Amino acid sequence: MNNTEKTDAVTKKDIRKAAIRYMFMACNTFNYENQQAPAVVYGLSKVLRKIHKKDDDYKASLNNHFNYFNTTTWMANLLLGASVAMEEKDGIKSKDAVQAFKTGMMGPLAGVGDTLVWVLYPTIMGSIAGYMGLQGNPTGAIIWVLLNIFFFFFRVKLFEMGHSSGLKLITALGDRLNIFTESASIMGLTVVGALIPSVVKMNIPLEFKTGKVTLPIQTEILDKIMPALLPAVLTYVVYKLIASKKLSITQIIFLVIGLALVCSFFGILGV
Amino acid sequence: MEIIQGVLIIALAFWMVLDQQGFVITTWYPAIIGMIAGIIMGDVTTAMIIAGTFQLMALGVANIGGSSVPNYGLATLVGVYVALRTTHDVENAKAIALAVGVPVGMLGIQLDVLGKLLNSYVSHAAQNALNQGKFKKMERIFWIGPLIFGLTTALPTALCVLFGDRLVRLILEFVPKWFTDGLSIAGSMLPVVGIALLLQFMPVKKYLTMLLIGFVISAYLKLPILGIALLGFAFAYYYFTQNMKKTPVTAGAGEAGNAGEGDDFDE
Repeated sequence: MNNTEKTDAVTKKDIRKAAIRYMFMACNTFNYENQQAPAVVYGLSKVLRKIHKKDDDYKASLNNHFNYFNTTTWMANLLLGASVAMEEKDGIKSKDAVQAFKTGMMGPLAGVGDTLVWVLYPTIMGSIAGYMGLQGNPTGAIIWVLLNIFFFFFRVKLFEMGHSSGLKLITALGDRLNIFTESASIMGLTVVGALIPSVVKMNIPLEFKTGKVTLPIQTEILDKIMPALLPAVLTYVVYKLIASKKLSITQIIFLVIGLALVCSFFGILGV
Repeated sequence: MEIIQGVLIIALAFWMVLDQQGFVITTWYPAIIGMIAGIIMGDVTTAMIIAGTFQLMALGVANIGGSSVPNYGLATLVGVYVALRTTHDVENAKAIALAVGVPVGMLGIQLDVLGKLLNSYVSHAAQNALNQGKFKKMERIFWIGPLIFGLTTALPTALCVLFGDRLVRLILEFVPKWFTDGLSIAGSMLPVVGIALLLQFMPVKKYLTMLLIGFVISAYLKLPILGIALLGFAFAYYYFTQNMKKTPVTAGAGEAGNAGEGDDFDE
């Protein structure tokens, strides 16, 4: 955007403000359609206004950020910092590059990040704080809060790092970054594969009865074929439904809720 | 005194969901929420014992990929409040907390799903305001999001503070069982949407092997997710080190330092 209107320089204060705005909103506008996108728009809206002086550019830029976005909120800081740097450098022309960068990185980062932030960390701290708690001792919980405060500042720092060197890092790494993303995908997909049977739960309480013999469908038939058969099938069906783009995410959600209610009414699925 | 405690408990309920989904300092994990609730109610020891019980129940229940999970933090908060209102005997308090807390925590899933559905409209409204050039209005619309989520936990808590556990039980008795069961079933099926969405953005076809390995180890061998994550890390590490040897650094030597730095915070 080499027009005569010179853009104000984005200061470190602007970056910190954007980081804190995004960190507050993160999942607090979470919805099934574009997930964290509104939080990204809210977080970046002030700093992007400084970059895009023309209303049309500003609108185009924010509309771009309204596209589906979801990753571990802690990792997102790095991506968003770098996205701001890209828009600062090339203005609205960078729109497609920003979008490609965000969608390319969010999946792998979510795989690794969710495991670290939402599984590993709470599991370790929760075990410690929980066991101490059973004895009426709040020490573990206090340590947990202190660590959270440390990570809060670390995350602001991540945003700044993304802004100052995220892009340099990414361009400099080149092929090496691909290797990193691929490795992250490998770990991420292993974890996602494990999530399907451990998070998605379906149970058929029906039984076949012939004379004295009862045959529970779930434990004696389905589980014998394959454990977590139904969650696997459901994942495949929903995956294909989303890929086909024939239904919106909200419609798919209602479909699942409707299916659960109907199956519950007829006793096909149990809690 | 009782009124102030009630108000603080409801305020904590409102804040905890916003913090968990945002700043992540006080979170909604039972141990921390129980401690704060204990301070408000003036009995940290009993509150921590209740909180510890819920915390250990909640282990391994992670809110990943937009899934809705039983809100054990809400269960702890309501449990601690109702229990400490009734008794200070530890065993009694624990029993009351479990009896009242668990159903409210389950109700939390359904309200969470509702909150996420409603927020689609917030997003649309904000985008409309943007396209009309009403930037200030857009900013204001975004704040409806946190308001909705705050209410998903503050409302059930307020009901418990005002009416004790009676109302919650009444609701659960009035609504037919197939319906509440159906919603619970939906709650345990809905994570599938988050997972399937995440998969759209990952190279599933290329690394189907990994997806299958993760699935098999979890479904057949019942290994905890942490162990599987470590295994995934092992595969990733092997792939990473093997391929790094083959690929020369494209840019100058000065960038090598950056590369090392990148690895540190990403892993």
